[in-house]
Amino acid sequence: MARHTLDAVTGPDTLDEIQQTLDQAFGNNEVSDYTKMCIELAVSEIGTNIIEYSGDGEPVRLSMIVDVAPDAVSVTFTDDGHPAPVDLTQVSMPDEAAEGGRGLAIAFRVLDELSYTRDKDGNHWTLIRRQSE
Amino acid sequence: MGDFAARTTKSGVVVVQPTGRLNMVAAPALRKQLNDLVEGGENRIVVDLSATEFIDSSGLGALIAALKIARKAGGDLRIAAPTRQVTTVLELSNLDRVLRSYESAESAFDG
Repeated sequence: MARHTLDAVTGPDTLDEIQQTLDQAFGNNEVSDYTKMCIELAVSEIGTNIIEYSGDGEPVRLSMIVDVAPDAVSVTFTDDGHPAPVDLTQVSMPDEAAEGGRGLAIAFRVLDELSYTRDKDGNHWTLIRRQSE
Repeated sequence: MGDFAARTTKSGVVVVQPTGRLNMVAAPALRKQLNDLVEGGENRIVVDLSATEFIDSSGLGALIAALKIARKAGGDLRIAAPTRQVTTVLELSNLDRVLRSYESAESAFDG
């Protein structure tokens, strides 16, 4: 299993750094285009949530770990912001006219597992997409 | 002028072409550019997505916001030539019905 990591303080370049970390993780491994697309999308949604909300617009410390295994790709994010007010059992796609609120629902839809926990180190998000193709 | 290339077709439709990744970094600029167009009196707008390699919910939000103000102004916003990633994201967010895509920017307001 190959592991790639990123440690950052969130800011305007963080989403690019997250994407670069994924590109490096995918670079040496057999990952289907569809799996890559699903992971990139989910990571962008969760990353955006952390950058925008975890520090109420202020920077937070963010670490990202990407593990690429033959059967699955998993990404974990840890940040030291305030607790995320989410209930992952209640995520649904908003109606067509909504201008926001789709991020978690989209991530949920393209992942096999999405979990959120909070402990003394902060917020932990785990994203898993199995390699089905 | 906005961040993204814009042109007007012979039939008076404004075509805006966002490039690269339409995420939380780029979406606010697109949203402002489309808003400025409608406020400036343009209400038939095509967003050409042929060079948009990636979109997420931030980009979708900018398109939906602009669709609503264009319709309120008596016009419409349509999308053209989406890449595979964009098509997939529109489908899985159930937005492919409100943001119907056309083959090209030129054909988006035909008929």
